[in-house]
Amino acid sequence: MRILVRLLSTLLALAVAAAGGLLALETAWQWWRPDGAPLLLPWPRWLDALAGLRWDAPVVRLTAALTALTGLVLMLVAAAARRRAVRLHDPATEVSVTMSPRSLARAVGQHVRAQDNVSGATVTANAKKVRVRARSALEDEEGLRPRLTESVSTLLGDVPLVRHPKVSVVVDSPKDRR
Amino acid sequence: MSDRTVSARALSRPYGAERSLAFGIGLLGLAAGVLALVVGFGWLGTYRAGRPVVDPLAVDWLSAQPVLARSVAVAAGVLLFAGGLWFLLRCLRPEGRPDIRLDTSVGRELTVTAGAIASAVRADAESVEGVGRARVRAVGDPDSPALRIELWLREGADLLRIWQQLDADVLARARESLEREVLPTAIRLELGAAQRRRVR
Repeated sequence: MRILVRLLSTLLALAVAAAGGLLALETAWQWWRPDGAPLLLPWPRWLDALAGLRWDAPVVRLTAALTALTGLVLMLVAAAARRRAVRLHDPATEVSVTMSPRSLARAVGQHVRAQDNVSGATVTANAKKVRVRARSALEDEEGLRPRLTESVSTLLGDVPLVRHPKVSVVVDSPKDRR
Repeated sequence: MSDRTVSARALSRPYGAERSLAFGIGLLGLAAGVLALVVGFGWLGTYRAGRPVVDPLAVDWLSAQPVLARSVAVAAGVLLFAGGLWFLLRCLRPEGRPDIRLDTSVGRELTVTAGAIASAVRADAESVEGVGRARVRAVGDPDSPALRIELWLREGADLLRIWQQLDADVLARARESLEREVLPTAIRLELGAAQRRRVR
């Protein structure tokens, strides 16, 4: 998302600069030499075309809807491009530490897979929540879930995280399917 | 407050301005689109919706004061052009690697280049047990430089011990050799990614 926002803002800055330059250039040229206009863009033709269009024309509505939608998407992309790194406690003054959410998930995953009766696990993590989905052929959800929740919480307790994420564990076991 | 310290800002390249620009232009687009839809569906009056997009009323009003309208258009165009260009250069500029100036008194200037300090700290950090790979660079503006250290830890590395060793050995040595009380440092950890697992 951050790369996308960087790319988009670069393109937007370019577009803003181009639009502003053309606006200033065309207006100044038309002011200086009314007979010589237009200079680069056929804007009198655009004006004529727009003068023949009514606000309730379908093409105007469609363009407006597309503009609004594009704006909304842009806002959402910009809002989603926040820092996702998980903050850890500062070990000393002027030292800040973060960990990628993927690293946290990887550490939890390795820990869960090393537990008894767990045949596999997928983990997703962010600063607020760690979700574990474990598979087990030998133990059902009833027995395994409290144990895994407990042990993952202990593991996370050993990592000096600024805020302790909630742990949610789901166990996928054939013993529960009857 | 802790979010605004030099070290916290050094954690990653700041994107606040880029995000604000994208958000602002998105907001403008949304507002303009919704306004045009409102007009187009006749919620501002049925006759309003039936009028042309380039309204003769507005055109007449503008041509009644040609100097003002043109001046405003030229000024707005120049401002947009300058602002857009400034922002474009800002987006395209790579993140700076400031040198660290230790002594600025005349005749005794002493500067450590960004590359020198980066490779020294990197060698130190990689010697810590459990650290597979390290990447170090100087970031920030020249007045308040900071170090950004990215560490890839090996699988099963003891985080707390590495933590202590980093501060006690690596950063302490860097501070000592630079004769600084504090050296703003941002550390980014990656766990268990350095080692590839062998297929059995």
